[in-house]
Amino acid sequence: MNGRRLLPGLLALCLGALLARTLAGALGVNHLLLAIAFGFVAANAVGVPDCLEPGIETHKLWLGTGIVLMGASISLETVLEVGGVVLLLVVGVAATTLLVVELLARNVFGLADRMGSLLAAGASICGVSAVVAVAGSIRAREEQIAYAAATVLLFDAVTIVVYPIVGDLLGLSGMVFGTWAGVSMFSTGPVVAVGFAHSEAAGQWATMTKLSRNALIGVVVLAYASYYARAAGDSRPSVRTLWDEFPKFVLGFLGLAVVASAGVLSSAQLASIENAYNWLFVVAFAGLGTEIRLADLRTTGWTPAVVVLIALLASSALSLAALVLLF
Amino acid sequence: MSTDGWLPIGDAVTDRWTVLERDWQSVLIGAAIVALVVLFELQIPW
Repeated sequence: MNGRRLLPGLLALCLGALLARTLAGALGVNHLLLAIAFGFVAANAVGVPDCLEPGIETHKLWLGTGIVLMGASISLETVLEVGGVVLLLVVGVAATTLLVVELLARNVFGLADRMGSLLAAGASICGVSAVVAVAGSIRAREEQIAYAAATVLLFDAVTIVVYPIVGDLLGLSGMVFGTWAGVSMFSTGPVVAVGFAHSEAAGQWATMTKLSRNALIGVVVLAYASYYARAAGDSRPSVRTLWDEFPKFVLGFLGLAVVASAGVLSSAQLASIENAYNWLFVVAFAGLGTEIRLADLRTTGWTPAVVVLIALLASSALSLAALVLLF
Repeated sequence: MSTDGWLPIGDAVTDRWTVLERDWQSVLIGAAIVALVVLFELQIPW
C-alpha cells in the first residue's frame, strides 16, 4: 500500500527536521537552513536509498501545506496597505526578468528559442515548476528541460547562501528583505527558507510576494503556448490553461487569511497553527536539500548560467533599489 | 468484527487521494490541521 511505501522517507524527513530544530540553537545557525544543509549533505555524501525516495519526494506537499497554514498569521490590513505597490513590483520585475533572459538568450548568446524560453520562465516566475509547466506547453526537448532545470537549481543553491549574507550586511528590514527575496529569487522553497531565516516578518512577506509571482505562471504558460503554437501553425491553447497552471494552494492560504482576519481563531489556536507550519517548513526543507545534487549542477552549461546570472543580477539590484526607495 | 469490509472504502479513499492534484492535497491537509486545532483545542508545541 501507498502509505507503507512513504513511511521510511517520511520518518527520515521528520528525523532531519528534529535534528535541525535541536542542533540549530546549539550551533547558532538558523534551523531552516540547517535542515536544507542536512538534506544536501545526506544526498551528496551517501545518496538517498531507494526505499526513502517516495517519502522524501513528499516534501513539496508539506511546503504547500505550510504555506496554506501561514495564511492564519497574515495581517490582511498590512497587505492591503502596501500590497498594491508590491504587486506592481512583482509584475514589473517578472516581466523585466523574462524579457532580459529572452533577449540575451536569443540575440546575444544564440541559445535555441525553446531553451531561452524555459530559462526565462524559470528565472522570472517560479523556478523548476515554471520550467516544467512551460516545457509541456511548448514541446521542449528532454535535454533542454534538464539543462534549464539544472541552471535554476544552481542559482537556488547559490541564492540560499548569498541572500541572507547580503540582507545582514545591508541591515534590511524584514519587509524589504522578504519582498526582495520574493520578487527576485527563483524557487518557492528557497524563498520561504531565506525569508524565515531572516525573521518572521521577512518570511511572511517573502511567501506572500512569491505566491503573487507564482500566480502569474498561468499567464506565462498561455502566452508561450500561443506564441509557439502560432509559429508552428497549430490551433491556440484554451484559457483553461490559466486555471490548470494556477497554484491552487494559494486559495487555501487566502481562505485561511480571511478566516483569521475575521477574528474567529483564539490566540492559542493561532499559536498552534504557527507552530504547525514551522514544523512543516523544517520537514519540507530537509527534503528540499536532498534535491540539490552536485552532479546535476556540474552538468549546467556555462552559457545558460551566464544568461540567468545577468538577469538575476539586474532584477535583484533593480528590485532592491526600488524597495529601499519605496519603504 | 472483521475489518475486511473497510478495505474497499480505504482503497477508494486512497485512489481518490492519489489522483488529487498536489496543491489540493496541501489545502486539504491544511484544513484538517486547522479543524483539529479548532475542534479539539489541539496544542502543537515548538
